[in-house]
Amino acid sequence: MPTLTLGLNGVGTQVEVAASDLLANVLRDRLGLTGTKIGCNEGECGACTVIVNGQAVLSCLYPALKAQGKQVVTVEGLAANGELHALQRAFVEAGAVQCGFCTPGMLMSAKALLDENPHPIEAEIKEAISGNLCRCTGYYQVIQAIRMASEEATS
Amino acid sequence: MKARVVGQSVPRVDSWDKVTGRARYPGDFSMPGMLYGKVAWSKHPHARVRRIDASQAEAYPGVVRVITHRDVPVNEYGINIRDQPVLVAEGDAVRWVGDRIAIVVAETEQAAEEASGLVQVDYEPLPVVTDPRQAMKPGAPRVHEKRGKSNVLKHIRIRKGDVEAGFAQADVIIEGYYITPFVEHAYLQPEAGLGYIDEQGRVTVISAGQWPHDDIHQIAHLLNLPEEQVHEIVPAVGGAFGGREDMYIQHLLALCAYVLRRPVKIVFSREESITRTGKRHPFYLRHRWGATRDGMLTAVEIEGISDAGGYASTSIPVLSNATSFFAGPYVVLNARIDGYTVYTNNAVTMAMRGFGATQPPVAYEQQMDKLAEALGMDPVEVRMRNLFDEGSVAVTGNRMPAGVGIKETLRQAALAAGWREDVGRWHKPDLGQPSAAQKRRGIGVACAYKNVGYSLGFDDKTTARIELALDDSGAIQHARVSVGAADVGEGVHTALAQIAAEALQVPLECVEIAPLDTAEVPDAGSSSASRHVFISGNAVLRACQEAEAKRVAALRAETGEKHIEAQFTFRGRSVRQTTPYNRQTGQCEPHISYGYATQIALVEVDTETGEVDVLKVWAAHDVGQAVNPDMVVGQIGGGVHMGLGYALMEEFIQQEGLVRTRRFSEYSIPTAMDMPPELVPIIVEVPDPLGPYGAKGLGEMTTLPTAPAVLNAIHDAVGVRVERLPATAEKVLRAMKQHG
Repeated sequence: MPTLTLGLNGVGTQVEVAASDLLANVLRDRLGLTGTKIGCNEGECGACTVIVNGQAVLSCLYPALKAQGKQVVTVEGLAANGELHALQRAFVEAGAVQCGFCTPGMLMSAKALLDENPHPIEAEIKEAISGNLCRCTGYYQVIQAIRMASEEATS
Repeated sequence: MKARVVGQSVPRVDSWDKVTGRARYPGDFSMPGMLYGKVAWSKHPHARVRRIDASQAEAYPGVVRVITHRDVPVNEYGINIRDQPVLVAEGDAVRWVGDRIAIVVAETEQAAEEASGLVQVDYEPLPVVTDPRQAMKPGAPRVHEKRGKSNVLKHIRIRKGDVEAGFAQADVIIEGYYITPFVEHAYLQPEAGLGYIDEQGRVTVISAGQWPHDDIHQIAHLLNLPEEQVHEIVPAVGGAFGGREDMYIQHLLALCAYVLRRPVKIVFSREESITRTGKRHPFYLRHRWGATRDGMLTAVEIEGISDAGGYASTSIPVLSNATSFFAGPYVVLNARIDGYTVYTNNAVTMAMRGFGATQPPVAYEQQMDKLAEALGMDPVEVRMRNLFDEGSVAVTGNRMPAGVGIKETLRQAALAAGWREDVGRWHKPDLGQPSAAQKRRGIGVACAYKNVGYSLGFDDKTTARIELALDDSGAIQHARVSVGAADVGEGVHTALAQIAAEALQVPLECVEIAPLDTAEVPDAGSSSASRHVFISGNAVLRACQEAEAKRVAALRAETGEKHIEAQFTFRGRSVRQTTPYNRQTGQCEPHISYGYATQIALVEVDTETGEVDVLKVWAAHDVGQAVNPDMVVGQIGGGVHMGLGYALMEEFIQQEGLVRTRRFSEYSIPTAMDMPPELVPIIVEVPDPLGPYGAKGLGEMTTLPTAPAVLNAIHDAVGVRVERLPATAEKVLRAMKQHG
């Protein structure tokens, strides 16, 4: 089996994978990072969103070997040095979490957005999370949380 | 007096685990030596199963066992009526495409999946019936030939006053025929879990159930085991909305563990979750109303038929609830109301947010708008003339108990949306200019109400246990609340922790909600009926009060006690005894408590494409007392989301019992781009004296008025009604063309 070498949440990681393995399954089943969720396994719900080299990708469609030599960030890598990321704090504060199954993917889409565009307007926030389905919140508090995190970055 | 905890928007107790990825959902559990199960599903909506041949599947590399009906000790289950086989037996019939033939268990998920396609079944196709209106006719193909005299599972009638005399007094007659679709719950976490035998030899299920103690009851029956030999652990749950009230995977996990004595994991694909599990009931609603020229209702005649699908599930309780709400929150002196639920070969229908209270307002609120239009009266005003007050008599003959906040929700929503009140006369706001020349603006109002707690004589109860750890001075250091309420995402654990903190006058951080294992925590009923804050909240409050009394007594007696324990079972009937429908008249005391709601929608309709944009929603909800205002706002957002999908886009489509909407690209739910840009949540607090701190229920009510408000707004904009949901652009355009 080929060896996949990647930076995973800032740590150099090696894992044997089959050519047909998808990143979501490797993260969840082989590396024990079950924070990344699989809601549809066909790229339609966004729950599996992770960041590869700064881009939000759907890990359920992303061949694991395509991450060769790249930097992958999952929800488990958001907090740093025991401190929650501003987005995580904002999601807690704003009540953006209900069942929480879409939350990891939502957070990763939001992080990719803010890393690229620290001060998005509302339409840009909605567009960034338009591939992340949520059945609980109606998205209002999610959008509010992303706005709060972007404002915190400003101040 | 310490700062109150109830009424504060504290962060949810589970939110830190959920934002860090630490929270574990059923699909996140694995065990050494674990096997994988995959279901071989029925390929027909109705067929006799002549023979099942699993030999090819069993011979497939990696397959450990193919479990069939022969492995099920008692092959029947069902939350209300045990009319479903766990696995369909040879000689019996499949009655919808969610029936299961076998479970293939293998060393890998891939082997299980591949081999599940190799289970050979010799089917004898039977006539398929997919319209309940046809299915209830004499001579229709029978879905359950040995049950009852026809496919009609239940007929409920309400007879009140003198309907003919009522119509004779009427100045106007308002009629309508409204059809609502099958709807998918579409929670983001597909059914998943792990079944195993624990170190004590018990059948153990880790899965997401809305009523884990009832799952155990059902599993013990089908495995023919004492209930102590079975337990269910409910970790984080990825949404439910009624869809996890019945078992769709829990019993399969238990059966696999029981047969194989090894851990078995099953994860449904999204396609399985959509196509093989229960849906919201479609209803066919025929209304005929009479009213005087000053807008007072004189009589209603209503027939509602629901499609139960292949098995009963909760179709009877859903119909029972629905029938009590068919006439809306309005005073009706003369009523003839008939409700039917009918077996077909469509998808099984079950609980879904509203439990029979969601379909009726699609009809009664459009009726109300038609009445306003016929009389040239403002839609707010005509409602104000007919809405319940405290003490009003409902169609079921009961008086509405204290805490009737419906008029207050309408008043606050209407004022917020720009209506003017002028001595009892209401005047609609100016809607401003549409965003393009071909667009028209409209505004629509809808009111709705729903029960809190189980209804119609069903015993609703929760047991809560409180354990207090005291310091040397006898002060409370820690309070542990054991209550079997599944937090399915709505936040019940946070709400109950707030109620406990309030009752014990301790900071929220001192309160812990014990993990949900049915063997460890007492039964709290289901996470449904918007009941947990009211019923389980009352149980927690009273258990805390007992614990506190014991603590104070111990302090007075200077016993040096460090540990205090109290348990309380709260029964709904201790505050209001509900009764079943009278068979002839339907007169009864249907419900324990009620939640009330009004929503107003501002829309723009594109006259060239028929597309509807909802620009703004005002949502006023009477919750009695908001335990956590941010969580109330969160429920309103989610309810409006579901209601918007119901109004404009969501329909689970079947043709001759075969499913056509199999994935999210075919069954669309609203994305962030589809939601109204503005939502104005309005929290109304007319306390229910029976609720904990005056609280009622909320979760389901948030979705009831959205669809009719949007439909009424479409009519206001372009003068047409779409009476068969959803109001897609094509349907709106077609209605406009027919209208001319």
